[in-house]
Amino acid sequence: MVTKQKHPIHFFPDHTQKLMKTLGSEHLLKALRAMLLIRNFEIRSESAYQHGNIGGFFHAYIGQEAIQTACVDLLGQKPWYLTTYRCHALALLLGVTPAEAMAELYGKATGNAQGRGGSMHLYADRLLGGFGIVGGHLPVAIGAAFSIKYQKQKSLSVCFLGDGAVAQGTLHESLNMASLWDLPCLFVIENNQWGMGTAVERAVCMFPIAETLAPAYNCKGYSVNGMDYFSCYSCFQQAAQEVIETSRPVIIEAFTERFKGHSVSDPGLYRSKENLQKAMEQDPIIRLMKTLEAAGHLTQEAYEQMNKEEKEKVIAAMKFAEESPLPDVMTLEEGVFCPR
Amino acid sequence: MEMQEVEMREALRQAIDEEMTRDTRVIVLGEEVAEYNGAYKVTKGMLDKWGPERILDTPIAENCFAGLGIGAAMTGLKPIVEFMSFNFSFVAADQIISNACKMYYMSGGRFSVPIVFRGPNGAAAQVSCQHSHCVEAMYGNFPGLIIIAPSNPYDAKGLLKSAIRDPNPVIFLENELEYGMKMEIPRQEYLVEIGKAKIVREGHHVTLVSYSRMLNICKGVASELAQKGIHVELIDLRTIKPLDIATVAESVRKTNRCILVEEGHMFAGICAEIGFQIQEHCFDFLDAPIVRICQKETPMPYSKVLERETLPTKAKIMRAIEDVLR
Repeated sequence: MVTKQKHPIHFFPDHTQKLMKTLGSEHLLKALRAMLLIRNFEIRSESAYQHGNIGGFFHAYIGQEAIQTACVDLLGQKPWYLTTYRCHALALLLGVTPAEAMAELYGKATGNAQGRGGSMHLYADRLLGGFGIVGGHLPVAIGAAFSIKYQKQKSLSVCFLGDGAVAQGTLHESLNMASLWDLPCLFVIENNQWGMGTAVERAVCMFPIAETLAPAYNCKGYSVNGMDYFSCYSCFQQAAQEVIETSRPVIIEAFTERFKGHSVSDPGLYRSKENLQKAMEQDPIIRLMKTLEAAGHLTQEAYEQMNKEEKEKVIAAMKFAEESPLPDVMTLEEGVFCPR
Repeated sequence: MEMQEVEMREALRQAIDEEMTRDTRVIVLGEEVAEYNGAYKVTKGMLDKWGPERILDTPIAENCFAGLGIGAAMTGLKPIVEFMSFNFSFVAADQIISNACKMYYMSGGRFSVPIVFRGPNGAAAQVSCQHSHCVEAMYGNFPGLIIIAPSNPYDAKGLLKSAIRDPNPVIFLENELEYGMKMEIPRQEYLVEIGKAKIVREGHHVTLVSYSRMLNICKGVASELAQKGIHVELIDLRTIKPLDIATVAESVRKTNRCILVEEGHMFAGICAEIGFQIQEHCFDFLDAPIVRICQKETPMPYSKVLERETLPTKAKIMRAIEDVLR
């Protein structure tokens, strides 16, 4: 294999001090709390999986929390959102209750999709789904952007994808059409370095991805440190504004790390202990916690308390899921078609 | 009733045009639908009338524009996606199968996908292996899709209007060789209900079931046999899924014999399904084995003689009927 040309990464500035001021401590503590809910939800549900309460495939968002938290903090319920099968976090951020999400994982009637979607397919009013086919949701995302444009709304479609999807043809097709048709779509490549067990450099010929791709599609492309809440927030702020104002696609590559395997059944044998250790040192939750602590917005005790509260929310959600009824098998064939 | 004589393509165009007038959420997208006026002229004049916001030429990227249509459908629009040939829908199979067809169920009823995929299906004249496949059996295997295959301009217009209004994804199958087919249809608006077969010709000797272009071949067979005193009951399925098995079964209980004709392949085809359902519903009524005439198990050859040999023909259908009546 020819050694690939690696271009330097131009990381988007984090503007930490400025954001600390403009966002204020209440906003940032809320963000930290949201990230802790995701972390606790993933840890607990993974253990529920190990106990056999959750089946199928299960992909945890642990390590990547800063990215989607910052995005939803900034944009709220305004955009249409789409993401991959690693979708628990985005659903929680967009208002799906931990109970409703957990019940879906447990395959219960009270679940987010009535026990029909499972871990990979969660929805909210503005979340068009966790999608199970790598790259399969990209054309759908530009379709949502098309609707926004057709209905003359001032909004955007936000499409999260993994580095694995960069090798799919849909990325090229969707960027091409979004650029040709001036569609307000923000593509967020969450580069967690691994497509299942295949390192990104063995699957994608570009480095960095967004900065390399963007000029070819006549759009902006940004690299951002996905382990840092402030960097992500700043970058989304700039990118979303550009998408809405110009009605053009923008690509962000968020460099991140997942601390777990691709899915719960993946022991991660392809990854060295040192590699994982190094990744975990960048924990986005610890990073935000330390920044807030240094600024005097948070004490260790308050942090522990917050973590405990979020853990309790998840435990309550598990109790709800456990106690919820299974779907009535008589309903199996209902809802294949939408009633006329 | 005031009537008008129209070609199939005009009937389809009228259906789209009327629905676009009725509902501003309806848009048309596909390859060559706008400036070129449609590869088969179904969308002729529509760009001039509706403008580039609603009649959209796409690049040759079926998977992308099918998915774009699905995303638009999930967020409030009612797209009609034209495939220049349904054989190109294979490029878009992931979007149709994994997204359009499963979304409503998978989301527990949160998001529906009101979209119509339409275009010519099956063989035309010598277009060879990669442009001739009949897709209905393949898509018929995916719960969540409605599949419609009209045989004449009247049904085509009424069914396409119903398809556009339906909140579910619809595979609407036309036929390149029938775009010029003429028929008198009403000038005023009408709908044809999805999921209802039609008894085209009543008879008591044998039930003959088909749809789309093959139905018109069967029509010829039935009139010829009538002159010989054999009265065929001919059923046009019109909608393949949901299948109107009640109409078929009622007929078979009367005639006790059944012949099924399909342009697509034999193995796991639509006839295989209908035949099995007849067996489930009419086992005690059958006086002869059900016979199916389908495309042979070959890709579509280019050469005229080979093309004719692999497809169902009038002679093959005639022979099958005479055999089951023996």
